[in-house]
Amino acid sequence: MRTRTETKRLRAAACGCLVLLVSAWAGQANAFTVFACEPEWAALSRVLLPEAKVHVATHAGQDPHHIEARPALIAQMRQADLVVCTGAGLESGWLPVLQQRAGNSKANDAFFASDHVIMIDPQPAAIGTPWAGDVHAEGNPHVHVDPRNLLLVAQALAERLQTDLPAQKVAIGQRLRAFEGPWQQRIAHWSELAAPLRGQRVAAQHASFGYLWHWLGMSLVADLEPKPGMSPTPGHLQRLLDGLRAKPPMAVVVASYQDPRPGRWLTSQLGGHVPLVVLPATVSEQADAKALTEWMDGMIRSLLPLAKR
Amino acid sequence: MRHASPSRPIAPASYRILKVAIACTLLVSAAAQAQMKSPATPTHSANDWQFGVVLDAGATSRALELGARDQGLQLGHSDLSASGSVGKFFKAKLTGVSETHDGKLETSMEEAWLETTSLPMGLQLRAGRFASQVGYQNAQHPHADDFVERPLLYRALLGGHWSDDGLRLNWTAPTSQYLMFGVEAFQGKRLVAEATNAPGTLGAVALVAKMGDDFNRSNSWQLGLSHIRNRRQAAVDHHDEDGHEDDHHDHHGAKFSGRNTSMLDATWKWSPNGNNRAEQLKLGFETARTTGLNFGPSLGDSHQSHALSAVWRFNPSWEVGARTDWLKVSMPDVDHPTGKLREYALMVAYKPTHMQTVRLQYTTQRDATGFEAPAKNSVQLQYVLAFGAHGAHSY
Repeated sequence: MRTRTETKRLRAAACGCLVLLVSAWAGQANAFTVFACEPEWAALSRVLLPEAKVHVATHAGQDPHHIEARPALIAQMRQADLVVCTGAGLESGWLPVLQQRAGNSKANDAFFASDHVIMIDPQPAAIGTPWAGDVHAEGNPHVHVDPRNLLLVAQALAERLQTDLPAQKVAIGQRLRAFEGPWQQRIAHWSELAAPLRGQRVAAQHASFGYLWHWLGMSLVADLEPKPGMSPTPGHLQRLLDGLRAKPPMAVVVASYQDPRPGRWLTSQLGGHVPLVVLPATVSEQADAKALTEWMDGMIRSLLPLAKR
Repeated sequence: MRHASPSRPIAPASYRILKVAIACTLLVSAAAQAQMKSPATPTHSANDWQFGVVLDAGATSRALELGARDQGLQLGHSDLSASGSVGKFFKAKLTGVSETHDGKLETSMEEAWLETTSLPMGLQLRAGRFASQVGYQNAQHPHADDFVERPLLYRALLGGHWSDDGLRLNWTAPTSQYLMFGVEAFQGKRLVAEATNAPGTLGAVALVAKMGDDFNRSNSWQLGLSHIRNRRQAAVDHHDEDGHEDDHHDHHGAKFSGRNTSMLDATWKWSPNGNNRAEQLKLGFETARTTGLNFGPSLGDSHQSHALSAVWRFNPSWEVGARTDWLKVSMPDVDHPTGKLREYALMVAYKPTHMQTVRLQYTTQRDATGFEAPAKNSVQLQYVLAFGAHGAHSY
């Protein structure tokens, strides 16, 4: 039996909690809040809506396929006015949990970048088997490493933001144009700069930079993963080695979130003539338009000197 | 002395009341959502149904006391599930489960629920059959478990994995730290299969609070508090002279029950720079105490259980883990008024892709008092195949 004073104390504690919560709620700024699954979409959101509060779920050091649906991310999604993600199954292991747990109706209707670009390597016939690895039927989801895709996504995102924030329609349109012009010039510049990379052969881990190879006309001759999403195994690397020795690639490329050891082993076995390149998988979490430019620039400049005549 | 247990069936009228109550709440919430939805917002695609299959096959050298797996080969918690949107305002999920128990293949509907997707202010309402969100593990799908068997706490006090028929209302606070409060009202038939009293349709109520956050890029935590008010009184399970327990009881029900169960769970996860694919250390502690037992002269009688576990993913495909469980229960038995059991488990798991797990586990049950068949040494081998949409994993 609970005594009367105990009940009173409990009630007082409950009231206290409620007051705290309400004040915490009231203290929230009313800025438009964007939940971006990856830093590149956060950067585009900042370009189009600089006053937005932007939460970024992941960073370049994390594999975006495998993110823990952490309480902190649920709390961020609870506050979101717009969720901006890649889609095409990239976040299927964690985004649905966040949406389900956050209880935020605005979070359910996410903007997916992959809906607005032409995907490479679609596998519509692949119902896949459990032994086939992480096959994305829609195609390669790492769409952001082609600057032409970033432009298409920026345009579609601007349209979505204009729908969500009709009062800002003109301003968002102006910011989009201010981004588009210089970015198009950059694309032309990069294409010219990267001409020596055309036809070059690379070995890489996962399809992380598939769109970059596609854009620059490079060819992927070996994937360090035996199956999509499966970590490199010694047996698979050994098999690759036989082929690569006969015709060495320009470089072995891994992403910043991948373990560099399998790639390092491969380059050492190739006799040190083939360098290992670790490319940043994306921009920093605070990135803006300038950072997007520097990231693209940096990737091309680190590959360029390795081009074989 | 066998306790007379004239399990009075609940009047069909009260089932009808529950059904009407569920239907009414769903209608009201649909109306509320419709009002909140601004016409400019595009509606969620209706054709997003996904299907999944989980196959869990295992081999056990010796069945564990309170374990869910028989000796020899067995089919573990294997399921077929479908989930997706229902109209503009609801999400639904159906899961059918098959597993072997006592050499027989049993099939049951584990989940069949509708949940609102666009109630305002962070509110969510769910109705149907679903797993209660009490504790750290109860609502998680067993195929994602780190060990072959659930902790003793769940096996003894919650029937392993408590899913039941009822309603849930959750509120997620709009705070920078994760904060969620939930209340669930269940029929309670899957917690206590046969009640000796007539508690009506509302057999069990669960209150849950969860909170959590990141300490920094590499460290995150979650804390949960739960309370179950169980209104269904179980028939007192006297051991007869041969040492046989009642076997007519539904094995899904809790082996040890009482009126009030309080639970606390704490989880801490560490992964260097937040890249949990490459490496992760997960520490978990859960504790539960059940009071208000329906026998015995002393009011202080209780059941208590704790579980402490550590799982280390040291490579994208390999995990090792250790768990230790404590259980102390009060029994209506003159010779053994207190039952005790300690369990230690060590496991190693190989996950070549995220769809497959091969796990080898060694378990030993020690210091047993009042339990008939503690397993001194048990080795279990488990293979889990999760294919298609099998539910993204929660924290």
